[in-house]
Amino acid sequence: MSTLAAQMVGADLLKLRKKRSTVIWALILVLAPLLIYFIVRAAQHSSSPLKYEPAGGQHGYEDGLQALALFFGPLAGIMIGVEAGAGDAATGVFRDLVVTGRSRLALFVARLPAAIALCWAVVLVGYALLILGTYALSSGAPTPSGATVANGIGFSLLSTGVICAVAVGFASLTASRPPALVVLIGWHLVASPILAGISSLGKARDLLLSQAISQFAPVKLNEGPHGMSVTMSHGFAIVVMLAWLVVLLVLGAWKTMKMDT
Amino acid sequence: MSSDSQLAVYTEGLTKRFGQRAAIDGVDLRVPRGSAFGFLGPNGAGKTTMIRTLLGLTHASSGSMSLLGHELPAQRAQALRRVGAIVEEPRFHPHLSGRENLRIIAAVRGPEVRERIEPALRRVGLSERADEKVKKYSLGMRQRLGVARCLLADPLLLILDEPTNGLDPGGIQEFRVMIRALVEQEGRTIFLSSHLLDEVEKICDHVAIVDRGKVVVQGAIAELAGAASGSHSEVIFGVDDSSRTLEALESDPAVREAHRSDDGIHVVLEGDPQSAAAINARLVGVGIAVMRIEHVRQSLEQRFLQITSRLGAPAGALAESQAGIQSDGQASTPTNSQAGAPTDSQASTPTNSQASTPTDHETTGQVQR
Repeated sequence: MSTLAAQMVGADLLKLRKKRSTVIWALILVLAPLLIYFIVRAAQHSSSPLKYEPAGGQHGYEDGLQALALFFGPLAGIMIGVEAGAGDAATGVFRDLVVTGRSRLALFVARLPAAIALCWAVVLVGYALLILGTYALSSGAPTPSGATVANGIGFSLLSTGVICAVAVGFASLTASRPPALVVLIGWHLVASPILAGISSLGKARDLLLSQAISQFAPVKLNEGPHGMSVTMSHGFAIVVMLAWLVVLLVLGAWKTMKMDT
Repeated sequence: MSSDSQLAVYTEGLTKRFGQRAAIDGVDLRVPRGSAFGFLGPNGAGKTTMIRTLLGLTHASSGSMSLLGHELPAQRAQALRRVGAIVEEPRFHPHLSGRENLRIIAAVRGPEVRERIEPALRRVGLSERADEKVKKYSLGMRQRLGVARCLLADPLLLILDEPTNGLDPGGIQEFRVMIRALVEQEGRTIFLSSHLLDEVEKICDHVAIVDRGKVVVQGAIAELAGAASGSHSEVIFGVDDSSRTLEALESDPAVREAHRSDDGIHVVLEGDPQSAAAINARLVGVGIAVMRIEHVRQSLEQRFLQITSRLGAPAGALAESQAGIQSDGQASTPTNSQAGAPTDSQASTPTNSQASTPTDHETTGQVQR
């Protein structure tokens, strides 16, 4: 990466990491559910060890990973991606970036690594909590292997990174934060799970981004709309993810290059 | 396209349409380097659209343009490298400090620009408060930070859109001083859009008056707002006997019109303003005491009002009447000089008195041919 490109990414990262509300909410999204999960499960286990499994261990890890990588982590990625994609336009600063003479495409491209870097930093904090809970609260139950933990990191980063990048593209397309947030969160929390749960859609459900990402989970995911509803080959899942990325990023770049400011 | 390198901004037939409506319509603009150039027009005249088009924030529908000798949009990056601009009110990331906002722009402009941040902050007097978040800044501070952001480009050309909007009188005065220093001490070119005549007249030395997307006149302010040039000029004679003066002037072929006013005898001369000297000699020759002779200088405001008062006329007629001015960038063809309410006048012919500043010329008697 050239010095200029590195500076531009650094500048975008500065904008994002200094946006306290976004960073705090992203951290809350990835940490709070895990904390609540471990606290409740630990309390249950301590009150009735025979009835309730330990909060940590393999089972706790699988539940936590699914929550982090497929549900709350992507929400954090959406928040960060939307801020990265629409922040300049929303504040009116984009025109000042354009009048520097730098190409609009370069301005768009710099948003991606910055958003993904912050997203991954947040997700890794959440993953650290997950690992801490998994081992500290295992109470002698089996724990995930080192390979599973490593694969879990990769899966979390893949899932949140892809969704964050899609959010950057979509927010750049809308050039406005509120509609981008509403549409993306609505899609992630409501529309996509509903569609995944409609079995009559058959193979059409393979085109859902969340289902394509689920194929790479290193552990068995719960079945259901928020878990894995369909199975497909890894090759096809990669094609689906790339299609989502290419379409949304090209649209975002096109809008960034063409819009009047 | 002939983009003269001596021009900071050059446009030819530049047009920007929104649907059927032309926000800027066939604009030919010539902004000399090293000048403070006012782009003057009423609200909605197309000033901001013109600036946005020049800066590549919106695409031109037709025509050609160049900044600092670089054609746009083909050489956009080179053209904008030494251009700083504030479009409408300066915008920043409110959650970042002033210094951080400048770091963002410096990062985009290039690795060498970062070292200009501190000098730019010092230049606009914001060093002490550069680490405060911009959301705590007053509008005046944001304007200054906007100028600092422009200075990061080490600009040969600064484009400022209504830069004193929202500033208090002290802030406006401070801003004027800073802008004039940028031009006079550092040789930068300022392109300043405004709907405020007074602001343009005080800051700028060149002006283009724009309305309904068309530049209706452009040139040096001194020439545009100066003596009514071309086919006639206006002079006020301070005399001891108004009636005898009017009688004496009645038969003078150099006099187109003469009438009594509060300040003396207001005389509209045919052609050469130097004929005032001959008239002076003639009046003195018939025993009239001439205490003073004032050359009536039109203000930019008068010129602006003359032009905008004719905007109901067909655009072609107006453009035709201004053709002499637009063709060479100099005022040469006055179109509608009226004797009403001059607000600025200068003594131009040696007399024993200084020019006063007449504010009203009430007609109490007149000679007209």
